Amino acid sequence: MAYKPQYGPGSTVVAENRRKYMDPSHKLEKVRDISDEDIVLLMGHRAPGAAYPTAHPPLSEQQEPDCPVRKLVAPTDGAKHGDRVRYIQFTDSMFFAPAQPYLRSYLESYRYRGVDPGTLSGRQIVECRERDLEKYAKELVSTELFDPARTGIRGATVHGHSLRLAEDGMMFDMLQRCVLDKKGNMVKYVKNQIGEPLDKEVKVGKPMDDKWLKAHTTIYHSLGGIAFRDDAEYIEWVQRIHSLRTKYGFMPEE
Amino acid sequence: MTDAIYPQVRVVSERLMNPETVERVMNLIIATGGVRRVILNGPRLPATVPYGPAKGLPNPTEMRRKIKIAGQDVQLEVHVGNIVLELENRDFIPAIREACEKGITKFSWYLQEGRFMKTEPSLVDYAKYGPDADKTIVGLTEPGKSGLVILQGNK
Repeated sequence: MAYKPQYGPGSTVVAENRRKYMDPSHKLEKVRDISDEDIVLLMGHRAPGAAYPTAHPPLSEQQEPDCPVRKLVAPTDGAKHGDRVRYIQFTDSMFFAPAQPYLRSYLESYRYRGVDPGTLSGRQIVECRERDLEKYAKELVSTELFDPARTGIRGATVHGHSLRLAEDGMMFDMLQRCVLDKKGNMVKYVKNQIGEPLDKEVKVGKPMDDKWLKAHTTIYHSLGGIAFRDDAEYIEWVQRIHSLRTKYGFMPEE
Repeated sequence: MTDAIYPQVRVVSERLMNPETVERVMNLIIATGGVRRVILNGPRLPATVPYGPAKGLPNPTEMRRKIKIAGQDVQLEVHVGNIVLELENRDFIPAIREACEKGITKFSWYLQEGRFMKTEPSLVDYAKYGPDADKTIVGLTEPGKSGLVILQGNK
């Protein structure tokens, strides 16, 4: 029988969302439109319209060693052109942000090629070739994985994921890279991900309401959301894995 | 140094408070007349970008600005989440509670009684201020930052 990944245990909405986002056959729901130029501005690695700086000559122009793995694996677009490796980093508020660092790394590994995700407690970075990164970043920002108020695009000074929200519902950001325009109920980025002021504001859409956030979140939260302890199936599996790992040296038998 | 007879309370809000809210609630709290010392506590808002490739660039934010408390300018350097107060005596607590009810209306908050300010200078305080530090300000402010503000004419 062919292997069918299950992605994760759990019988709650949170667990279901986790499985959905990780499963590459699930098409991520598009929530907002964001242009290629805006993504380039947000990341701040190159000026919009500028040529991609390269780290090495295009693969077609350089001598490749005779390697069976290179024959087997098709290079990504960015690798083919010899692009530099660049990054985008996200911070997800614990107050029902749609994604969270571990999940981001899992889903990027399942969905994208040639990525190097790095997971930290309050932020998650993904590195890859610049051309590929822009494509992936666009998907990460324009789909249900992103909420303008509870998710931040932050290259440095990421502090905020576990803090109380501001009065207007935005996650704390000491650099205030994005502001909520109350008139149009629209979040605008005024600085790029490392905190340099942008020449023009980048609109990333309306903050989603609490109902949407709770239906799309992948974070267990006992205050106002679904408590981790309420997901019996998840607990059972976590405990089982913990137990087997602990006993591993003693050749556990089930 | 804090005298043990002075009670302390802490106001914790559900959301980090905007400067306008802090200004409103602080003026109401100060108007009760029973406040000896205050710490406005919360995550820091630096004047310049502290880390990363943009280190040193100015960091304009809406939350870091001057507010007026009891007619005096106070430079906010944090996004206020907790207000720690030392009071003259416990009789002022109901008035503080009432001031918070009037001042913080958009979201919930709670008031705790306890010890929230430093009672003894730590080793770090010794390194910062030396042996002859003014004991009334230990734990209230950081040297090198803008320092503490004395609200004149309230007694």
